Amino acid sequence: MTPGILKFAQKLLLLGALAIMGALLSATIVRFAPGYGVDEHELDSRLSASSRDAIRNRLQLGKGLLSYYGAYLSGLVHGNLGTSAFLERPVAGLLKERAAFTARTVFLGWITAWAAASLLSLLTLRWQSWLLEYSATAATGILIALPTAVVALLCLYLRAPLFLGIAVITLPKLFRYQHNILAQAHIQPFVLAARARGVSPGRILFRHVLPVARPPLLALLAVSASLALGAAIPLEALSDSPGVGQLAWQAALNRDLPLLTSITLFVTLLTAGVNLFSGTLQERRP
Amino acid sequence: MRCSRRSSALLLALFSFLFSTPAGRAQSGEELHFCLHSEPKTFNPILVDDEASENVRYLTGGVLIRVNRQTQALEPALAESWQVSRDGRKITFHLRKGLYFSDGTPFSSEDVAFTMRLLMDPETHSATGDAFRTGAGSIAVQTPSPDVVVVSFPALVAGLERLFDQVAILSSKSPKKEMSVLGPYYVSDYVPGSYVLLRRNLNYWKHDAQGKPLPYIETVRLDIQRNRDIELLRFRRGELQLINRLDAEQFDRLQKDSPGVARNAGTGLDGEELWFNQTAAANLPDYKKKWFQTTAFRQAVSLSINRTDLARVVFDGYATPAYGPVSPSNHFWFNTSLPAPKHDPQAALLLLSRGGFHLENGTLKDSAGHSVEFTVITNSGNTTREKMATMIQQDLSEIGIALKVVTLDFPSLIERITRTFDYDACLLGLVNTDLDPNGQMTVWLSSGEDHQWNPHQKSPATPWEAEIDKLMQEQASTPDEKLRKAKFDRVQQIVAEQQPFIYLINKNALSAVSASLSGAAPVALNPQAFWNIETLRLKPSQEMGASK
Amino acid sequence: MKVRRALRFLCRGALLATLALGLFAGSFTPYSYAHQFRGIPNAAPSAAHWLGTDALGRDLFTRLVYGTRVSLLLAPAAALIASIIAAILGAIAGLRGGWLEKIILACADLSMSLPLLFVLIALRSVLPLDVSPVLSVIATFLALGLIGWPASVRVVWAASRDLRDSDHLLLAQALGYRRSQILFHQVLPCLRPVFLAQFWISIPLFILTEATLSMLGLGVMEPLPSWGNLLRGSEDFSAMAANPWRLVPLLVLVHTVICFQFIFPGSEEIA
Repeated sequence: MTPGILKFAQKLLLLGALAIMGALLSATIVRFAPGYGVDEHELDSRLSASSRDAIRNRLQLGKGLLSYYGAYLSGLVHGNLGTSAFLERPVAGLLKERAAFTARTVFLGWITAWAAASLLSLLTLRWQSWLLEYSATAATGILIALPTAVVALLCLYLRAPLFLGIAVITLPKLFRYQHNILAQAHIQPFVLAARARGVSPGRILFRHVLPVARPPLLALLAVSASLALGAAIPLEALSDSPGVGQLAWQAALNRDLPLLTSITLFVTLLTAGVNLFSGTLQERRP
Repeated sequence: MRCSRRSSALLLALFSFLFSTPAGRAQSGEELHFCLHSEPKTFNPILVDDEASENVRYLTGGVLIRVNRQTQALEPALAESWQVSRDGRKITFHLRKGLYFSDGTPFSSEDVAFTMRLLMDPETHSATGDAFRTGAGSIAVQTPSPDVVVVSFPALVAGLERLFDQVAILSSKSPKKEMSVLGPYYVSDYVPGSYVLLRRNLNYWKHDAQGKPLPYIETVRLDIQRNRDIELLRFRRGELQLINRLDAEQFDRLQKDSPGVARNAGTGLDGEELWFNQTAAANLPDYKKKWFQTTAFRQAVSLSINRTDLARVVFDGYATPAYGPVSPSNHFWFNTSLPAPKHDPQAALLLLSRGGFHLENGTLKDSAGHSVEFTVITNSGNTTREKMATMIQQDLSEIGIALKVVTLDFPSLIERITRTFDYDACLLGLVNTDLDPNGQMTVWLSSGEDHQWNPHQKSPATPWEAEIDKLMQEQASTPDEKLRKAKFDRVQQIVAEQQPFIYLINKNALSAVSASLSGAAPVALNPQAFWNIETLRLKPSQEMGASK
Repeated sequence: MKVRRALRFLCRGALLATLALGLFAGSFTPYSYAHQFRGIPNAAPSAAHWLGTDALGRDLFTRLVYGTRVSLLLAPAAALIASIIAAILGAIAGLRGGWLEKIILACADLSMSLPLLFVLIALRSVLPLDVSPVLSVIATFLALGLIGWPASVRVVWAASRDLRDSDHLLLAQALGYRRSQILFHQVLPCLRPVFLAQFWISIPLFILTEATLSMLGLGVMEPLPSWGNLLRGSEDFSAMAANPWRLVPLLVLVHTVICFQFIFPGSEEIA
């Protein structure tokens, strides 16, 4: 047991290091992006020179990137994520307010996409009819060609919850990958042999296909989770839902360094965490 | 198998958690519902510097003097009366008696003094406060009695009374601090990223002619909604009763299918303009700087832009060609003797040829043979500005000028126009919140920061800029409104001749008011559609339908 | 099988026709894509303007046809770049394993969570303002291709890791084939469906990303048309309902995406 725990701890450590690296890298990118330290309120003609300076000082890092790194890390150790430059409120509070919403929509969207994609894949593989397969491909083709903004507006127009939008965006990619994996498994010699022997389709699926397809499917589980998370940002921003995605979008538009750094930290933790989880599952092979 | 059953129970529990909706919103009988277009950054009226917060301040804050948005005249509010001293440096307010803040704290001259001191504290960095700052030194506030306040300024503040329209009075004693207000509503709930809920202030001082307390509507729900298409969709569904600042294209569509609902208050205060980078420090080739600094060049560009087409095509006719910095809807300050903007490419070419330019195979060249081409930058995501720039592109091609259009996201754009000066020309709209030209001091003074075409000058680069400097300072140093008007009329005239800003159009003030809302009378001034919030009423029968 | 082949043939034909339409745009339409017929903005389809005109009075058919150039040449190019990078890195990670695998996967995770939008914004500012619209669009797509790989790396990685453990690769090794032989004769054919899936999924994504980017000022500059900026109008349903012909760019995109899916042989046929 002990070596297992040790290995797991090692992985967790790696995960943490990765997240912090992501956060600092994103701070660097934002810092050197054009328009950093600029506030549109500077254009307010009523402001006096000293008030303008105050705005600029508030937005600037003041000392420099390295000292920002230091300050951020020491704050992180003490559980303090800093204050958003744009909303002028503590970052931790902002994230807390919105994390639940995003977690809920992304999770539901992800589950729905998996359910729909699995259904489609199984149907097409079960009946092996070209008509069925082509219509599934065409249908997902339509979905993949829909601009995110249209999906967001469709959700609103049809009064559909946002997670369906996430599912709609994730589904076509997921289906394509999944279909590929399963089709690959289906043409393995022993599956063909089983089919020739007249083994029932359900048995073929559970006994032969799924065990073979398990590792790539587990990898796909992680990939699709990050796809769903990626879809949440534009969707939330476009439909003005009070989630982390909307917050991230606002932070990007306003060059809000502390907020963006922390959002990256959590997104990296999440993406890498899901991958770690699926990786661990894959290692425990049957 | 045992294991899987347990996991399915877990999954079920998880699902019931996920599908449980957050506590249902309280549905009150009378709720007016409309949108803010960004997150309000603060509820502290003194620190307000964005439109969303400004709207909340208008709905919740009590001010001493109110500018009537319809007549543009001053009206007594918390102050029953006031006098400005002859030297324009001192103002005495006589306050209404027996008023209370929304939390029940009594209102007195101490609160006004507290607010003014906080407002004028240099550490506060308040845009509202900075508008009062015309000279060095600090203010003095006296409270000879609980209902009299005297505020003395170190220097004359021209148009002093109007500035108090923006000063919402804070309570000096209330434990609720800035959340305790004197306006028609108070903020009762705020969910960041989602909505602000306002409730009727039971202690509000105003009553209607029949003695009924105002405002009529119980609650106002302000949804934070950036996407204008979604806003319009929700309005059509009856979920919203009002849209403030509708853009022309949406207005046009609404006008077509529900004409009674779309409200056009005529030419608004906001304008769109184009300017050339005349900054000496700019990293531009010398010949380009020379073009941009040539008056004839700017005049020619202005002459070749077809403003009527801009107004008709981009704004569906809901805009008027702009004369200059002041919109015709600013009744007092607009200079009526300005020439109407013209579109005359032939005259433009004539001007250019006098300035040493010539046409060669349809391309305009300067005297040194450089073909005239430049880039105009504008902020991305603003489709009207992109369309305007594209139309100007075609207009300028008619006089042989090749224009490139580049859209940049707002922070990078501001960085270019205020820091690096790395651009040729810029197309932007400046929002006028203030009717008085004093609000534009930093725009017109050559030393000013908002003197966009050539900011921060140590001494005026041109004689006409020197003249504007002089006129602006003179108008600011007299309380005589007529004299001030004469001076600022001259400024408008110089700007029309020199075209440092090429003014393009003034947009109409467009809004949408649902049939279920009565009493609305949208105007050109902010907040256009709900300036008379106190007297708006929701029709009960319609309201029921709308809330379903 | 016959139906499949016929369909594939049909789709290839349609794609080629669309591409030809774009390349020889000038001979299909008498107008310039930039000319504004200001008297008739937002016009309905007519004999003179087959798809009507846009908000500025520009002929929509002309813009659609010219827009094909940008979208049908540059988006697949970017998709190809991204897919090739993903394929190489994913295959290396999957086949080699060890610390290289860990590093590549960590990099993929990392770059998926970084705000890469800023990289594109920075790119626009690095390019001088007076760079020609065509050049700026090429630079944007190149950047998109270069940063678009992480999403697909894991999929390729999973597939190739499986391959590493598979019997026939072991067999090939045991038979003493050279590494390059194994790579080209065993590995690549097996990974082909994954690559292709990756590639066609990316194409519409890049076309749409361009639309989003032009909202940020990073995409195609006015007056150059692209499917992306023609699609920007489709976000407004009430306008769409009144002018259904405005949906044509979306239909063309959907049609193209579906054709891209069908031009490659299915996995069953490869085997």
